[in-house]
This record gives sequence, structure tokens and C-alpha cells, in this order.
Amino acid sequence: MAQIPAIEVPKWALTLLNNLFEVERKLDLHGDPGNASRNVEKMKNTFAEQMLFYEDPMGEPFKETRTDLEATITGAGTDNLVVVEVIKPVIRHGEMAFSRVVQKGIVLVQSKDANQGKQEESVE
Amino acid sequence: MSKMINFGIDLGTTNSLIAKFEKGQVEVFKNPNGFKESLPSVVAFRNDRILVGDQARTYAEKDPKGVASRFKRKMGTTETIKLTGGSKTPVELSAFVLKELKNFVHSGERVESAVITIPASFDTVQSNATKEAGLAAGFKQVLLLQEPIAASLAYANKEKGIDLRNSQWMVYDLGGGTFDVALVKIVEGELTVVDHEGDNYLGGSDFDAALVEKLIVPEICRRGKFTDLLAQMKSEKGKYNKLWYRLLHAAEAAKIELSTKTSAEIDLGMVSLEDEEGASIDSLLTVTRSEFEDVVKPAIDGTVEMMRKILTRNSLRPEDLKFILMVGGGAYIPFVRKRVEEVMGISVNTSIDPTNAIAVGAAYFAGTKEFKEGAGKTAVPKNNRQLKIRTAYNRNTQETEETFTAKLEGDVSGLFYRIHSDDGSFDSGLNALLPRISEDLPLREGAFNLFTFGIFDGGNNPVDVGFNSIQIAQGRYSVAGQMLPEDICLVLDDVANKDTRLQRLFAKNGVLPAKGKTSVQVAKTIIKGSDGEISIMVVEGPSERHSSTNKPIGILLITGSQINRDLIRGTDVDLTIEVSESRDVTISAYLNGTGQEFSQVFKGTDRHVDARMLASDVLSLESTIQDEIQEASSNGNHDSAQGLERLLSQVQGLISEVGSLAQDDVTDDRFKLEDRKRKIAQDVFELTASKRVDAAKVAYAEAKEAVGALVSESGNDRERHLYREIVAREQTIINSTNPERIETFTGELERVRWNILMRMPDFLVEMFEHLIRNRASMNDQVQAKQLIEVGRNHISNQAWDDLKQVNGRLWDLMPSDARESDDMRSYTGIV
Repeated sequence: MAQIPAIEVPKWALTLLNNLFEVERKLDLHGDPGNASRNVEKMKNTFAEQMLFYEDPMGEPFKETRTDLEATITGAGTDNLVVVEVIKPVIRHGEMAFSRVVQKGIVLVQSKDANQGKQEESVE
Repeated sequence: MSKMINFGIDLGTTNSLIAKFEKGQVEVFKNPNGFKESLPSVVAFRNDRILVGDQARTYAEKDPKGVASRFKRKMGTTETIKLTGGSKTPVELSAFVLKELKNFVHSGERVESAVITIPASFDTVQSNATKEAGLAAGFKQVLLLQEPIAASLAYANKEKGIDLRNSQWMVYDLGGGTFDVALVKIVEGELTVVDHEGDNYLGGSDFDAALVEKLIVPEICRRGKFTDLLAQMKSEKGKYNKLWYRLLHAAEAAKIELSTKTSAEIDLGMVSLEDEEGASIDSLLTVTRSEFEDVVKPAIDGTVEMMRKILTRNSLRPEDLKFILMVGGGAYIPFVRKRVEEVMGISVNTSIDPTNAIAVGAAYFAGTKEFKEGAGKTAVPKNNRQLKIRTAYNRNTQETEETFTAKLEGDVSGLFYRIHSDDGSFDSGLNALLPRISEDLPLREGAFNLFTFGIFDGGNNPVDVGFNSIQIAQGRYSVAGQMLPEDICLVLDDVANKDTRLQRLFAKNGVLPAKGKTSVQVAKTIIKGSDGEISIMVVEGPSERHSSTNKPIGILLITGSQINRDLIRGTDVDLTIEVSESRDVTISAYLNGTGQEFSQVFKGTDRHVDARMLASDVLSLESTIQDEIQEASSNGNHDSAQGLERLLSQVQGLISEVGSLAQDDVTDDRFKLEDRKRKIAQDVFELTASKRVDAAKVAYAEAKEAVGALVSESGNDRERHLYREIVAREQTIINSTNPERIETFTGELERVRWNILMRMPDFLVEMFEHLIRNRASMNDQVQAKQLIEVGRNHISNQAWDDLKQVNGRLWDLMPSDARESDDMRSYTGIV
């Protein structure tokens, strides 16, 4: 089982993509008066031409069968987990029709149940 | 020839590895899932699945009832670990880890026997338990090897020249979660562990936590108002619980960075960090190496103390040791090396890869040990159970999850099944095989989803049932007729050939809808208010053909009257092209020079033929045919010439018809004319395609010969290698019918030639003189004069590298248009 040869992606490419992701997140968070997002988009397209792209798993459900994420569970509860924070994105190699994970996303996950509990508490 | 064991396994407390000895080399296998060499020694039982490694570790802290870790320290005890899936012994749990490691072996060969390492502290009962775990994992033969010996073997095999006879040394192993140190000696020609010490709860992860608690958190508290930040972070229900884990990751990254740099930055700019009053906190923190060292010093000093104890017990002085061999991740920390060296006063050796040294050493040992068939007592079951499988699942679906079900006939007892996705994003873990199984498979949208299915026996050996692959196409694949019938291309000016070329935007058979982005440059400055224009033309048809042979889909024209500033040559135009499922094409162009955006939708049902464009196309087609006829006749290619003559008369007929077409003609005449033009252009292309391919092949052959001679005469090793490598690939190119591909290949050869030439004095001097001859046209005469003087000096001093620089600067002074004639006709205005 599992005899698919690994794809070797140079480390510098992964480092650049991780940083690009950070830049994108920071622009989202702190605003982008200089329209730098356009440059980020162009860099992402340049990588996509080289068959490399990343995906932000924020908000996606997580369970034990997912192997594209390296998750750390925060808060109480281990069921109904969702991604609540993304430290590194999932990097894939290939095209839309078929691609493979070359870097697992590093994420924090939290139980939805716990989240709801918390919200209810704060409502009270 | 007798068969060797060859496989070595480091069955660690926190991480495990597998390596293989083959032909004098050791290969450490990587996890097919995530590509790390190590597998966390953690086993989880969740929802009737058995998960091993990273997936299991995720739940280790929060679901201790379902997850077992650190069980190695309980090996040989009668203690059982109570889990939600029932009680498990440390032996059983270790067997799961060993079985999982078999999956790392990408060659697919069976791991029938292995050398497994054990800590120096293991007694006979613990050692036997490890052996038992190996047999339970399906190995027929298991040999044990002490970890410090394995590390020493890895070292001895790397530094083959070193003489270790009559010497003793210490192996210092600071791992992710445990610390061990051992005194190793050669007694009567055999490596022996004489004494050892250790701490089961000291390792790299403790350093990360200390960094957060002692440095990062106090700094954050200084920057904002927090009542009890650390407690809030560590408490499961605390407001800052997420931050604790985020900081642990950051601390680990900083720790790694500090092993090569003197300071590291922790950047929390991706999260909005606010204090209890809602004020935002400056999120950039710096940790220096010396601060980090202060934090870990007590722990490191503790390890040195253990080494001292060993020395005292054995009446040795530090100088009696040959060296200290460091393994484990801790060896990467400069302070650990420095501190141990400083206190012990002898040299520390870190020449082997500290993370896999033990597995590598075990594999070297395994390479010398003969595999004795039948040494173990467990027989591996074969598929003599007459297992039959019948599967049912949707091969095409619109859902993002699809249920795979299978019915099995035959004896399924003691068997497991496992499904994992080939893209590395899903793994079901081992599940007990029942007569009827079902599994929900997550699907990527708009993609082919491939899964590997396998059935395994208790020893994790595959059992063949003649079914191993699940393929599900998600989304639009399921509906026929929504794929692109032809390439969709953008037309660009080809300045060098005074023609146009095609850039493929979407490939034939791609799935709709599709969206693509590309950037082009403005080929010629467009003055605001002038009638200059750029046209973004999208055509449908084979991308290796000429634009005139392909069907136009739409043209987005941007003229000087539409722009609010001059559009300078060379500025970027960002294009977004979208094709909807009904094949409507939307072209959007963002002009970086003016900040304007233009967009137009072209309906899949309409066709767009611009009368002016058509007229200019027909005219250029005429001149192309005339040129081709001339060339064909002069080459004596009469058949082609005759064919082309026929096409010429057709195109001339077209010219007059197109000429009489009004710009706002409302009939379908222009479509008919456009069709005829395209037909003629296709014929021309076919008649001349072989000619262009032939020319490209000739150019390649010439370049190959010339560069070959130059490389063997003046090339260095790298260039020789590069040349050989290019030539080795030539067959695929020579068979190509695409002239552009052949040209790219020739270009690669030319680059090698250029590299060599740029080192040769004769060439540099010649180039220098050529530049002097063109001096009159240079932009800055004063600078040119100075540079030429400097260059002459370099020649007399034979300073060739400097001359190269001067040549480069002189070249920059040449007017940039000098090499591109101004009469270049612009077709689209973009390149």
C-alpha cells in the first residue's frame, strides 16, 4: 500500500508560499490601502503556473481521517472539530483536476460544540 | 547467496523510524503521508478506527482515553492501557507502530525481519517484550540492538577512517521528549554499553514550553494589560487558550532558527492580538540566542550532571573519553553542544544526522545479519481464504462526499481494511474487516479523486483480493459536453518574428467553468487621447498553430481615447479570462499604468468578427503567402509553391470582398468571410508547417555541433554535464512537430554557449570592440568614453572579469530600440 513516489518540492518554494500566505492574511487583517493584494495574486498565479498552489483550510471541518492537516486541538471537546486558526496553509502540487499535498497545513482546531457552548454562556 | 535482514527500526518513545541497508548505502524511508522520516509513536482508537502517527498525536492530549503514547516506557510491565476500544498492552501498541512503519517502505517489498533498537536501560523482560512486539507485527525474525550502539555504528560507518579500538566514548541522546546518555566501550572487539543514565521527561518540547512561559508571555504582558495571561492560555476554557498552542508552534520555529542565527523574530501579525481591554498589542517579538540559552541552561546542566555521575561511577576522567557523540534533535542546538563541551572539556561530535542516526545504525547492523527463515513462530497468513469482494460506489458525483460500500465473501476474521487518498489528504486508518463495509470518502471539488484500497492481515501484510483502486470524479466531470473542445488562447505580438504567437489560456478537454489569469505587457506606448490601441484577442483552436487559423472568440479593444493617462510601453496589463459552462467568455483587463479596468462578456452563442481586424488579417495573410511562395520556389519546392499559388488567388478574391464590407455591416457576411479566411490560413499553415519544423531542426543540429565543440574545448564540468543532459533529452524534441518546442531546446544550448563565451578573453575583447564601433549611437557619450578607457585598461591588465562588467555597462548604453526595428507592425499591441 502507499507506493506513490513523493514529489520533491524545493524548500525555498515552500518558504515563499508560506510567506505569501502570511502576507495575504496580514493584508486581510490590517487593510490594504496600496492594493498589494493584486501583487499577491500575481505571485500566486506565477506559482500556479509552476503547478504549486496553497489552500486556506480556515473554517473547514477536521476529523481523524484528514491527513492534509497537522492539527492541534484547543479548548474542550474532540468531536465536531473545525479549523479556527491557520498557521501554515496546505500546499498542493498539480492542477485543479488532480493535485497532491506537498505540505500539510498547520492549524488549530476547536470543537464546534464547545464554541456554541461558549457563545451561549456569553449570551446569558 | 544468503539473505540479510537489512531493515533497521528505531522504535522510539516519541518518534519511530525505519531504514534499509542496500548495496553499502542506507536509505531512511519517509512517511508517504506528509513525507517526514519519523512517525510519532502514538496510537489512537477513534470511532472504531485504529490510527497511528500524526493523526493519532492530534488527539493525544485532549482525548487521553482514546489515545496511547509513551507506552515504550511501560514495555515489559504487566500494566495494560485502558482505552475506549478496550485494554491494550504496551506490546500490542508497539506492534501497531511497527506495522505502520512497514507502509513507509515505498518499494512495496515485504519487511520479513528487522533489527529493532532498545534503550540501554532496558532489562531482559523489557527487551523480550520488544521482540514480542516485533513478532506480533508480523516479522519472522527480530534482532535487538541498543540505541547507543546503533548511533555508534552509524558514526563508525560514516567516518570509516577513524580507529575506535581501545577507546571509549559517550552517546548523548537528547530527543523530542526523552534524554539518554550512555558510556560505550569496545570490549574484546565488541561494542558494549558500560553504563547509562537518563530522564524520561526531558526533551525538545520542554524547551519550547519554557521559551513561551519564561520569555514570550512576560514580554506580551509588558506590552498590554493582562491579569493572568499564562493561566488563561493554559486553561482549556481560558480566553487565550488558542494563543498557547499558537505560541508553542512559534517557539519551536524560533528554536530552530536560533540554531543558525543569533536572534529570531516571532511574528504574530497573522492574528489580531488584543489585551483584556481590547487594545491591540504590537505583534513582533524578538528572541535572542542568549535569552534562549538562559532559559534552557538549567535543563542542560542537569544532563551534564548525569554524565558526571557516569564518569564518577566508572572512575573515569573526561579526558579518558575519545569524544561525545550527540544524537537526537537536541544536537541541533548550538548551546547544548557548547555547554557540554565547556563543562566536560572534551570535543563533541555531531557529524552524523542526529535525527535518524539510530535507525541508520540499526540498518547497518541489519545489513550484516543473516535472515533465517522460520526463526519466528508466527506464520504469515496467505490469501488462501478465498476472499471475494464486490464493491458499489458512484464513479461520478456532484456530492463532496461519497459512500464506498463493499461486500466480502469468505473468511474475514482477523483482517483489516484501509483506504487512503492518493493526493495525501485522507486516510481511514485500519478498520476491522466485516462481511459488509462502508466508508465515507471526502472528495475535492472539480477533481479526479483517487483512493487506494487495501486489505491487510494481522501483521499488516497486504492480502490480494484483486481490487485496489477507487476512482471518483467530482462535479462537472459527470456531465458530458462541458469540456473545452479546443484550446483557448490569447494572441500576442511576436516581436522577433514580426508576427503573432499564441499563449494557451485553457487546455483542450479542460473543465468548464474555468478561470485563468495572466499578465501581458504593452508593446508600444499608447498616448492618451490618440487613436493608438491595444487589442486583447482570445481565439479557440490548437495553441501550436498560428492565430489566423483559429476561431476568434472575442476582442477587447482599449484605445487611447479611453485611457486617463498615457500607457507606457512595458507596463503590465493583468488579464482575467473566464469561460462559463455555457462557454460565455469574459475578458477583463486591468491596466497597471492607469489603474483602469475594462471588461467585456462575449456570449458563447455569438461570434465576434471585427470588420477592420478582418481586413488587416486578410492583407497580412496575402503577404505571408507571397513570402512563402518566393521561399518555396527558391528552394525548388514546386509542389508547395503551386498549392500556395492557389491559396493566393483565393485570398486575393477575399480582399476585395472584405474591402466592400461596411464596418457596421449587419448581415452575416463577415462571419462567412472570416470562415473562409481561417480555412485558407489553416491550409497555409499545413503547407508550411513542415518547413518551420525542418528549419528549427536544422538550427538545433547546428547549435548542437557548435556548442558540443565549444564545451569539450573550454567547458567546465557543470557545462559538460548540462550539455550531455540536454542532448540526452533530444529525442523527444526531435520527434516533435512543434517548432517552438525545438526552438526552446536550441535556446538552452545557446545559453550554455553564451556562458562559456563570456569567460573567454578573445570573445570579450571582440565584443568590446564591437561595442566601440557602435559608440556613436550610445545614449551617454561621456560615460561611454570613460567606460571604453577603463575597458582598455582591463585588457592590458588581462582583468577579464572586469572587462565583462564593462561590456555589460556599455551594452546598457545602447539604445534599447536599436535591436528592434521601429517599423515593426503592431498586431495586438501586447507582448
